[in-house]
Amino acid sequence: MLNYILKKIGYGLIVLIMVVCIVSTIISLAPVDPAELTFGNRYDEETVKAKREALGLDKGIFTQLWMYLRDISPIAILADHAENKAKYNYTRLLPLGERALVFKAPYLRESFQSGRRVSEILGEAIPLTAILALTSIFLAAIIGIALGIIAALRPNTFFDNFAITISVLGYSVPSYVSAMILALIFGFFLSEYTGLNVQGSLVVLDDFGEEKYVWKNLILPAIALGIRPVAIITQLTRSAMLDVLSQDYIRTAKAKGLPKRTVVIKHALRNALNPVATAISGWFAALLAGAFFVENVFNFKGLGDVAVNALLSFDIPVVLGAVVFTAVLFVLVNIMVDILYVFLDPRVAVS
Amino acid sequence: MEKNLLLEIINLHVEFTTEEGVVHAVKGINLQLFRGETLGIVGESGSGKSVSFLSVMQLIESPPGKIAEGKIIFHPESGKPVDLLALSEKEIQQYRGNDVAMIFQEPMTSLNPVYRCGFQVDEAILLHRGVSKEVAKAQTLELFEKVQLPDPERIYKSFPHQLSGGQKQRVMIAMAMSCNPEILIADEPTTALDVTVQKKILALMGDLKKELNASIIFITHDLGVIAEIADRVAVMYRGLIVEKGKVEDIFMQPQHPYTKSLLACRPPMDYRLNQLPVVADFMDISTDKNGEEMMIEKAASIQDIDRIQKITKEDSLKRIAELTKQAPLLEVKNLSCWFTTKKDFLGRPKAYVKAVDNVSFNVYPGETLGLVGESGCGKTTLGRVILRLLPARSGEVFYRGKDLMLLEKQEMMALRKKIQIIFQDPYASLNPRMTIGQAIMEPMTVHRIYNTPSERRTWVLDLLEKVGLKANHFNRYPHEFSGGQRQRICIARALALKPEFIICDESVSALDVSVQAQVLNLLLDLRESFQLSYIFISHDLSVVKFMSDRMLVMNQGKIVERGASDDIYHHPKNVYTQNLISAIPQAKNFVR
Repeated sequence: MLNYILKKIGYGLIVLIMVVCIVSTIISLAPVDPAELTFGNRYDEETVKAKREALGLDKGIFTQLWMYLRDISPIAILADHAENKAKYNYTRLLPLGERALVFKAPYLRESFQSGRRVSEILGEAIPLTAILALTSIFLAAIIGIALGIIAALRPNTFFDNFAITISVLGYSVPSYVSAMILALIFGFFLSEYTGLNVQGSLVVLDDFGEEKYVWKNLILPAIALGIRPVAIITQLTRSAMLDVLSQDYIRTAKAKGLPKRTVVIKHALRNALNPVATAISGWFAALLAGAFFVENVFNFKGLGDVAVNALLSFDIPVVLGAVVFTAVLFVLVNIMVDILYVFLDPRVAVS
Repeated sequence: MEKNLLLEIINLHVEFTTEEGVVHAVKGINLQLFRGETLGIVGESGSGKSVSFLSVMQLIESPPGKIAEGKIIFHPESGKPVDLLALSEKEIQQYRGNDVAMIFQEPMTSLNPVYRCGFQVDEAILLHRGVSKEVAKAQTLELFEKVQLPDPERIYKSFPHQLSGGQKQRVMIAMAMSCNPEILIADEPTTALDVTVQKKILALMGDLKKELNASIIFITHDLGVIAEIADRVAVMYRGLIVEKGKVEDIFMQPQHPYTKSLLACRPPMDYRLNQLPVVADFMDISTDKNGEEMMIEKAASIQDIDRIQKITKEDSLKRIAELTKQAPLLEVKNLSCWFTTKKDFLGRPKAYVKAVDNVSFNVYPGETLGLVGESGCGKTTLGRVILRLLPARSGEVFYRGKDLMLLEKQEMMALRKKIQIIFQDPYASLNPRMTIGQAIMEPMTVHRIYNTPSERRTWVLDLLEKVGLKANHFNRYPHEFSGGQRQRICIARALALKPEFIICDESVSALDVSVQAQVLNLLLDLRESFQLSYIFISHDLSVVKFMSDRMLVMNQGKIVERGASDDIYHHPKNVYTQNLISAIPQAKNFVR
């Protein structure tokens, strides 16, 4: 088991490094000078040049890449002096003369725009996104699995066809479109009755400057984000259940005299969950990574919103930070799903 | 007598609604089961035998199935008789698994893969007995002991995929027996198992029946099994019971032509025939003027069928002597194939299973060499290694003097059309999206047999007739054909390349005995008309004996016995061979 997990983590690291390489290469090809961006419209050549050197922008692309990888790696060899100590806040593992092998939190650099640490910016946004993602995937899983089971138990009936048609429709509409439609209908036309806002984040500052959770602002984004997962989960559950329900062991379970509910939930659903779990985890990771446009539509201050704004203003450290975080998240969720499979289906050999 | 009546099936009709219309699977059967007896139900697939007894528990998938008419009266030991068909879904659940239990054909798929075996048996006990979990576990372990499972504690904790087929079937039996049912319905419980395992399971069921005083309904397509276990027999054909009676009467004095043909179409053990009789030799089916089906008797016994003759021992030995005088077509020398079972951290092999272990033999032109052994003995692997579908670890295979293992890709490609293989499962080996014509023509195109599509087409049409299909089948799809017809298609596909040598890997194992006889006859006919040589691989010694001149017995990757087929059957020297032969279910007690 440990071997299995270590192997998966190994593959995950390779994926992460490749993601960073590809994304930073693409960004470095963009026709802007980040050093100029830092100072807005008013700057002089000398300061820009100094800034460029500080950011390492005067160096070759491979050196820059290497430096970034060194910054985000938790274990690295760094020059051991006070300036670096303040920057990385590391723990020395092994002194190597002027340098040292150190352990540190990944250093995601600082925003060009605000000068704040990227980790701090992301740290504010991630909890909001996490709550949103959890809510919508939870809703989607419950509704999708329930609909899928009901459709599978009545194949080719009106309900079944209805559920399939609706889910195809739900899947075909991009979530930012359904976000806008929902916002318009429930947040604007019907806001008298629903009491919902067109836009608004989960955490807002009230009149006294205090942070305050506005839970109703979660409702519309969660639904907008949940529609496509619901569609997929419904279809996958339905087809997996149809397959499982025709298996011999279901007949065995019925022949034992088990009530229908037990047969369906305990014997059939448990076997049908594998593909569904894959879909749920994939969507969950995608939602956690920030539902870029939906958050933007609702002005929900999550990871997606931060990333979109950073992208628009070429705030490269923030964009890269968001991408790295997303990649780590995907890798982690995938590893967790692989482990989950072993528990869902004992036939998955751990080797 | 009346007092001992346990189950009565009265005028049962079952229908299935399909795209082509309503199919009457069961057309009014009447049957009685008495306390303490074993009732055998025999019939081929599609005869309605499984459907009839799934109806007892209301387990027919509905839709498309529907019980159109009839009653099934259950007379419990205490209490009033009930019509099981009149019960609601909720009410019948009280009877399922409790008064009436079932064992199914496929032990591999009949247990839920995600739950431990112990739990699956506990579940039934907890449901019907209302005892605590600890008591249920104790009872389950006791049952496992009773069905002779080794190490019940370990089996209790195992998942189904960790057990062998025989062990799984024992778990199924334990589950069925868990609530002391009065009726046990066993639907082909041993068909998927090796003969030696089958023998043990049959013995176990006999013992349990006595001990628990249950009655068994035993459904099978194999009359040999019936002879071993049943007291009375009902023969089903096309949704009707065509004959019923005591088991000795059915075997000694069969009345209905279908029963006679069923008895005759299994390869005989004691003598040798040139061909096997089939159902069509014994009867014709026609419709009378009211549109009712009629069965017309044609032959009363094998002696009345002209094309079938016995082959004397001298003749068959003479044939073998002549065959082996020739230069061998295929020479296999010290062939081995090992599979890695364990790898170390760097992926280097640590442990092997020797699937084929230092095997040598020859096949002569025109000969059929039989290869018999139980599942896992390496016979299929051997066939595939010869064709280079699997890599050999060591050894040589000479085909007409050329070492196949050393051939370059292109030379091998040229030889592949000379050596063909016919697989076991006619359902899985045809692509459902290709018409029969396309399926047969595809390898011809690859190997450039004939130059134009129209020439190929002519040849395929010719082949279809030779394997007993019709020219208008050319544009049909596989799902329109029965298992036997599909195997004919597979045979036609193998013949399309005009091979000299065919490996038949369990080619008739998935077929009913009556269909099996037809396919075996076809293979024999084709051997003569196309001058083929075969390696005939099967787990069924009686089939191998009928088909082959010489035979190899394989166990754990090694050939343990070889010789003329009849010799091996009558004078087996190896213990393994002896066990294999004694396990073949036969109506030994009822020799006419």
